[in-house]
Amino acid sequence: MNAIVISAIWGVIMMFSGAFSKNLKTVRALSIVGIALLFVVNLLELYGTHLFTVDTKGMLQFDSFGLLFNAIAIGSTAVYFLLNGRDMEKVGLHVAEYYALIFFVLCGISIASSFSSLLMLFLAIEIISIPLYILTGADKRNLKSNEASLKYFLMGAFSTGIMLMGICLIFGAKGSFSIEQIALGDGTLTPMVGAGLLLLMFSLAFKVSAAPFHFWTPDVYDGAPTVFTSFMATIVKAGLFIAFIKLFGDAFGELHGQWQTLIAIITAATLIIGNLTAVFQQSVKRMLAYSSIAQAGFMLFSLVALNGMGREGLLYYTLAYSIPTIGIFAILVRMKDYTFEGFNGLAKHQPVLAAVTSIFLLSLAGIPATAGFMGKFYMLSAAIQNGHVMWLVIIGIICAAISVYYYFRVIQAMYFKEGDAQELETSSFHKGLLVLMAAFVIFIGIQPQWLLNQLYTFFS
Amino acid sequence: MSATVFLFYFLSVLALGSAIMVVVSRNPVHSVLWLIATFFAISGHYILMNAQFIGIVNLIVYAGAIMVLFLFVIMLMNMNADSEPKKNKWLKLAGVVSGGCLLLVMVAALKSAEVKGQLVQMKDGDIGLIANLGKALFTDFVVPFEIASVLFLSAMVGTVVIGKKGD
Repeated sequence: MNAIVISAIWGVIMMFSGAFSKNLKTVRALSIVGIALLFVVNLLELYGTHLFTVDTKGMLQFDSFGLLFNAIAIGSTAVYFLLNGRDMEKVGLHVAEYYALIFFVLCGISIASSFSSLLMLFLAIEIISIPLYILTGADKRNLKSNEASLKYFLMGAFSTGIMLMGICLIFGAKGSFSIEQIALGDGTLTPMVGAGLLLLMFSLAFKVSAAPFHFWTPDVYDGAPTVFTSFMATIVKAGLFIAFIKLFGDAFGELHGQWQTLIAIITAATLIIGNLTAVFQQSVKRMLAYSSIAQAGFMLFSLVALNGMGREGLLYYTLAYSIPTIGIFAILVRMKDYTFEGFNGLAKHQPVLAAVTSIFLLSLAGIPATAGFMGKFYMLSAAIQNGHVMWLVIIGIICAAISVYYYFRVIQAMYFKEGDAQELETSSFHKGLLVLMAAFVIFIGIQPQWLLNQLYTFFS
Repeated sequence: MSATVFLFYFLSVLALGSAIMVVVSRNPVHSVLWLIATFFAISGHYILMNAQFIGIVNLIVYAGAIMVLFLFVIMLMNMNADSEPKKNKWLKLAGVVSGGCLLLVMVAALKSAEVKGQLVQMKDGDIGLIANLGKALFTDFVVPFEIASVLFLSAMVGTVVIGKKGD
């Protein structure tokens, strides 16, 4: 509850900060204070200090899994704020409102990680989505941004409608919104629950951009201002995944055997379409959009496996995917040219930037000794532990191999091609932060047990 | 056939018929008018189930406010039957196939649904009365009610960000 209340209140504070202070530095400082406060109150809740005692009538349940996920999401947002604070100011005039919207999204993510009623699930998904439609269209003078925003809004509204229909059918069959009530049953899939489950699965697959519901993703991620694409593709996507796995694990876990094949097919399609299409992209930003679809395919493994390893793996993967992607986007914002050619020869005059970009890309590709490798390892071993989907594991490995090609194209452009990559001034603070992030990616890559030990201590 | 049953079937036919007319009308203004008829029929259903509050709210909000908005948009964009763009034949086919699939799933689901026989209480259910609804909203459902305010607040912030002049 701490994180939900504080993030909503801090969103309001950010709104007022824009009205009362014309100084962007104050706004930026306030956002950092807010995110730090949010992190602290969430940790406090993890250790048993509840600042707010609210009787939620069983609609919200706070467990260490959700709170731990909150900690990762809030921590990544803190890194995101530190890296992108100045670039956000270049998007438009309403900087304070952008921060407010991001705090509201965090409120939605905190609900998504703790809901135990379909009503709260719906509210969480909407609180996450609506600010994103606006952030996508924040660059008002840019037609591509407008188009992306409208497209995202229409498709998102449609998928929300599908989700409501699913919730309706499930309510009709079970007579309750409560996850516990829905989970009760003799393990047979009745037609009405089946239809509701399908609709819920499709709408959530749309939200996490799983194929074949991924068509909005490249256009929206490409059209949105790059700073906000970075937020949407990492923290928000992981938050939606938590809602997805919580719903299907807690409410429909008993029926797992009956929808496992379907979700496995969705996973395979996501992996294949995401990776193969990414190969043909000319723009690094669009390539990253497809790569985020491909990475979503790997995150879906936790849903296919639906075991302890999958859940812990998802937490690990969230971090192992978010940090490098935020880093790459932060560097991409500073490039004048978003095509692969734009990166030609970057290593010559910006060796530090090129080196950290390489580490981030290696991590996304899943090269050993980086966080990405261990993330993929946990996901694949969760699926192997489950044992029913060996074909999917093979597809996953092949797709991971394909992904190496398009990630290495950027590295090749930076190190082995002649050219003069144009980039904006990067302050030494940014460089230091990027180096720290790269060091962290390597650290949790070679010491994954450190992070997982932290997880186990909390789980026990 | 009692009056309630007769009303139920009458309203159902009205709702379905006008919903189909919304889709097949070529003139957007006609579509909107049929949509209003659909909302009235659905409001009638709510009142049949003794849910007066939601019936009235449905009329005020949907048939009233939102439809006026629809009409304004259509007026401003100057849409009529002639300016309707020609649609791709394959796109139409894809729409029919996917819509048909959804219909098939729905019919299959509801055909053998487990709610058969336990229909909504027509006369004596009183949860839809405004006093009971208010009580439920501010006791059992107060947390989602409050959290919905964050949703509306973010939508309002968004309206200001998108709509404000100056950049």
